[in-house]
Amino acid sequence: MTTPTLHEQLENMRPALLRFALLQLRNAERAEDAVQDALLAILEKPDQFAGASSLRTYVIGILKFKIIDCLRVAGRTVQIETEPDQSEDDVIDHLFAAGGHTIDPPRAWGNPDAVLEQRDFFRVMEVCLEKLPAQNARVFMMREWLDLETEEICKELQLSSSNLWVILYRARLRLRECLDINWFAHSSGNKNGN
Amino acid sequence: MAIKPTCKEVHRLVSERMDRDLSVVEKLRLRVHLMICDACTNFNGQMNIIRRAMHEFPLDKD
Repeated sequence: MTTPTLHEQLENMRPALLRFALLQLRNAERAEDAVQDALLAILEKPDQFAGASSLRTYVIGILKFKIIDCLRVAGRTVQIETEPDQSEDDVIDHLFAAGGHTIDPPRAWGNPDAVLEQRDFFRVMEVCLEKLPAQNARVFMMREWLDLETEEICKELQLSSSNLWVILYRARLRLRECLDINWFAHSSGNKNGN
Repeated sequence: MAIKPTCKEVHRLVSERMDRDLSVVEKLRLRVHLMICDACTNFNGQMNIIRRAMHEFPLDKD
């Protein structure tokens, strides 16, 4: 078996990159452009990636700038079209009883290494990401996938820090709940990554 | 601010700690509560798994 070329490796990543860019840009054409630009930039200067870090980290690092550019070009007037959903407060409040105790105490999810070894876990997680409200998803992906600093996200999306913290908190609560129901509820038995 | 933090406060601090530096008082309240509360300790573990998962998300096709 021959080692895949850089081009092949990038093509292999393209579908996932596109889906993740779409979660942030919410526009198929813009997501396509951002990913295309990032991949071309890498192919034009393959020397820049001389085994520095992993290809994955390198690609995401380049895509980060393309996505930010794209958000800027799209203009701050193009806000995400969804209304902040009315149930926003419930996401936090429904977890706690009046005294501030958890109503349904979080259970242990087990050994992180064992969880993250399983390919199916990431499939479920991706579905959960897609189910997040648009603004939650955008902000969460910028923070946790692109690894942007909070100050930078606030600047790009014109959010206050406290606003950003609560959006991220809600996104994490939603993901947690979705994963708990759709993965961990079924994985207490023997799931061997099949 | 109550003397003893509630799970509600601690859940929020667990999340915010991932995005900002907590104050000395917040850190202390968090640490003391986590020593005695399984629910919040589990929540903290779940948040760590979510963060790690995002960093390790596979990009290649299977």
